[in-house]
Amino acid sequence: MHNSPAIVAVGRTKFGEHYGKEPEKLIEESWLAASNECSIERKDLQACYMSDCFLPITNKLGLEEGFLSELTELHVPMEVTRSFSAALQTACHAIQAGVYDTVLVGGIEKMTDRWDKIRDDLMLLDDPWSYFAGGTPESNHELMLRAYIKKHNITGQNLEKLSLALAQITVKNHANATKNKYAQFQRKISIEQVLAARKAEHKQLGLFDYAPISDGATTVVLTSAGAAKKRTDRPVQVLCNRSATDYLNYPARDDLSHFLAAQLAMKNACEAAKMTPSDFEVVEVYDQSTMMEMVSLEDLGFCEPGTAWRNVQESCQSGLNCYEVGDRKVYVNTNGGLKADGNPLGATGGAQIFEIFSQLRGEAGDRQVKSNDGLPQNGCVLEFEGFGTKAYVTILGGLNH
Amino acid sequence: MSSEPIERRVSYLGDRLRATRCQQCGKEYFEVRDYCSNCGRKSYGKMDSIDLLFDKGKLELATFINEPTNKFTKLGSYVYGIVSFHDGKIRVPARLTDQIQCNGDTVDPASLEGRDVIPRFRRRYSVAKSDVVPTISLAFTLADEYYPHQEYKVMKPTKEYELPGIVGYGAYSSRFRIKEEGLERAVPFIDEDAVTAAVEAGKLALIHSAIDSTWIGKVYAGSESNPYAVKPIASKVAQVLKLGEEDGDLQSVDAVDTEFACKAASSMFKDACALVSYPHSGIKYAMVIGTDNSQAAPRGCPGGELDMYVGFGGAAFIFGKQDVIAEVEAWYSCTSDTPDFWRRDGEPYPMHGGRFTGDPAYHKHVRKAASKLMERCNLKAGDINYFVPHQPNPSFPIRVAKDLGFKEHQFMPSMQMTKFGNTYSGASLIGLAAILDIAKPNERILVASYGSGAGSDAYLLHTTSQILDKRKHQKVTVKFQAENPFIEYVDYTTYRRLKSGM
Repeated sequence: MHNSPAIVAVGRTKFGEHYGKEPEKLIEESWLAASNECSIERKDLQACYMSDCFLPITNKLGLEEGFLSELTELHVPMEVTRSFSAALQTACHAIQAGVYDTVLVGGIEKMTDRWDKIRDDLMLLDDPWSYFAGGTPESNHELMLRAYIKKHNITGQNLEKLSLALAQITVKNHANATKNKYAQFQRKISIEQVLAARKAEHKQLGLFDYAPISDGATTVVLTSAGAAKKRTDRPVQVLCNRSATDYLNYPARDDLSHFLAAQLAMKNACEAAKMTPSDFEVVEVYDQSTMMEMVSLEDLGFCEPGTAWRNVQESCQSGLNCYEVGDRKVYVNTNGGLKADGNPLGATGGAQIFEIFSQLRGEAGDRQVKSNDGLPQNGCVLEFEGFGTKAYVTILGGLNH
Repeated sequence: MSSEPIERRVSYLGDRLRATRCQQCGKEYFEVRDYCSNCGRKSYGKMDSIDLLFDKGKLELATFINEPTNKFTKLGSYVYGIVSFHDGKIRVPARLTDQIQCNGDTVDPASLEGRDVIPRFRRRYSVAKSDVVPTISLAFTLADEYYPHQEYKVMKPTKEYELPGIVGYGAYSSRFRIKEEGLERAVPFIDEDAVTAAVEAGKLALIHSAIDSTWIGKVYAGSESNPYAVKPIASKVAQVLKLGEEDGDLQSVDAVDTEFACKAASSMFKDACALVSYPHSGIKYAMVIGTDNSQAAPRGCPGGELDMYVGFGGAAFIFGKQDVIAEVEAWYSCTSDTPDFWRRDGEPYPMHGGRFTGDPAYHKHVRKAASKLMERCNLKAGDINYFVPHQPNPSFPIRVAKDLGFKEHQFMPSMQMTKFGNTYSGASLIGLAAILDIAKPNERILVASYGSGAGSDAYLLHTTSQILDKRKHQKVTVKFQAENPFIEYVDYTTYRRLKSGM
């Protein structure tokens, strides 16, 4: 157990538009927050695992590793991946292998600098034929919603309820974000606003159903369980992380109504951690759209296929800020999710880890989840790369309260 | 900027919708695959190449895009979704094209799900004027509307003729029209141009002829609105329609573009005939295409007078000596250096000589070519069933026909200019297609094209009994397109916008 990975500190910037800040300022800010928390110096770092999805394209920044080396005066090994979960997973493997005991995992993205081109850039995450045929970053979400509705034969009043449930997801996420000082949108929105936006665009998903584009950075200090003791008396264990992949080409996938990669990653993670979905009280899902949050509840095994909208709709109707599944309560996207907290691609997963870390340690402030016997024991994070092309599930826990 | 190697690969696969089928397990893939993902290395070399251009698909899922990515903004709003082929074995992303007023008030994407669609060869998106024009066939139209699905069935030729002639043909025009002062003119959708019309016309000609596209040894494309000053239309046609035997990613076919104002294509009829007749050419069939998105300056600008008459469309004719529907019996051409209409290099719109385009230009040449040919063949106007003159406006062709002694029933059936506009290189060809659509066996047709600059080609055609047999292959006749219930009329502003393209 000495080599099992543990998170000793997390840090992040506010997500949103940081016009005046260079990408390195954002990295610095989140690193300072994390390093202050666990009194670590950068000379203590043995390696850095960074993630950014397309910083070289959006900010004309080539080899990020060299850039970071110059900034920090560090010459340790550094690697860049495209999502925070991927960086975290690689870092965990290194710790588990006993190569290092203290590493930095960081994520950064700066998207608002390219406001006019960012939707084209985002198409890089889809298959090229979808782009060539005229697809947009939103279109697959809408097609998957259509596929879901058809597969589960949802019609009439049920379809209206499903539509309402999706609106309630975003209203819930915005409400959560009002208690998150780092969130991009710290304001409430109403069901009527969500529906009006859809109506104006003549679409099933409207402006308020989609996550924004954002700037931001996140940092996690990851150590071995042995080294963690020096940094904090309450490390959060990375109990397991698993990932899975699926076709880049969404139309060619067998099931157009669900994310196979998410199902596999969760199944494998639960098996490895000897857990079931009912072990998680706090969950961060990758809600690039409200549809994604709904479908992910099913793909992760919290709800039966084709039923999540019922759980969402009934829970939100009775004024809960969590989803009731059977006799259990699942708190999903307590930080506001990608929708309200923000979605700076490479940093997003870090904010998800940040949230579960804070919840498990009881440091989530106004949005702290309390279960019957105190603080939540375990949490999990689902992060995607692309439109369900890669899925990462990270299970956190191991704090004995 | 465009990246040419990528462009080559994308259009190579996407224009024809090339796909692959595993011989062992039957799994199908969009794109070319050397082996099957199911069967692994056992399937290497056992993959059949298929393609979907002539196929019919089904719109499985649909949504509505009102905020496209940057290069697609000229398309405005459109329906986008997933189309499946072969009962879902292949699924591809798809844009529905040919929709102008596409918004949530007029279109409910979900209601279109389950409808049959057919792939259309179109421009993909906008690029800078200096770049390669990207194309793709992941654009679809509803099969029960303007352009229906037709099976492309290859048949073994049954009869060899002494003279070469037309073995198949197809005329293509868009579903949009502008109607002004009794004239209807075809308007391309914004993703169409002379190249896309050439391919669509060629596709129709293949379907009608029932010959294998690989038997074609040469393709000529005549146009004066090729989007490129340098780069042929014919090479695109050859690749998309797979003309000639495929050899790796090359087609064993000769392809060339020709230019002579509106007679660029008709001039090549005789070359095609000569080629298929020459015993050592090794070429059994040749395709001639006339295609134009006829340009005209906006009204009020110099040259803007043409704007009242220009149309859009093209026609393709396949020549050979087997299963001929109309033998080419004789021809006569005349030429003079007459500057009645021209477009200087780099200029977007042509200029013309006003009244000078009439008597000393059009009338002189067409009259000369037609009368000389009749004289040579010892025929009088009364011996000919149909006369097909070039049609730049509604009055010139009628006057020349009357001058030559033809009666209305001989020339009016070929008058398509009032339905599609002046389609420049396609004009006399669409007229000829309209006649071949209705002609009986053993009838004589006199075609007289005209090209400014100037010259005229006259041909004497003689229909055979097979004209009736092959007619069954073609639903998309000239009349079908002229009187189609799915035609959409546009106003002047929309017409100019669509015509200017992406």
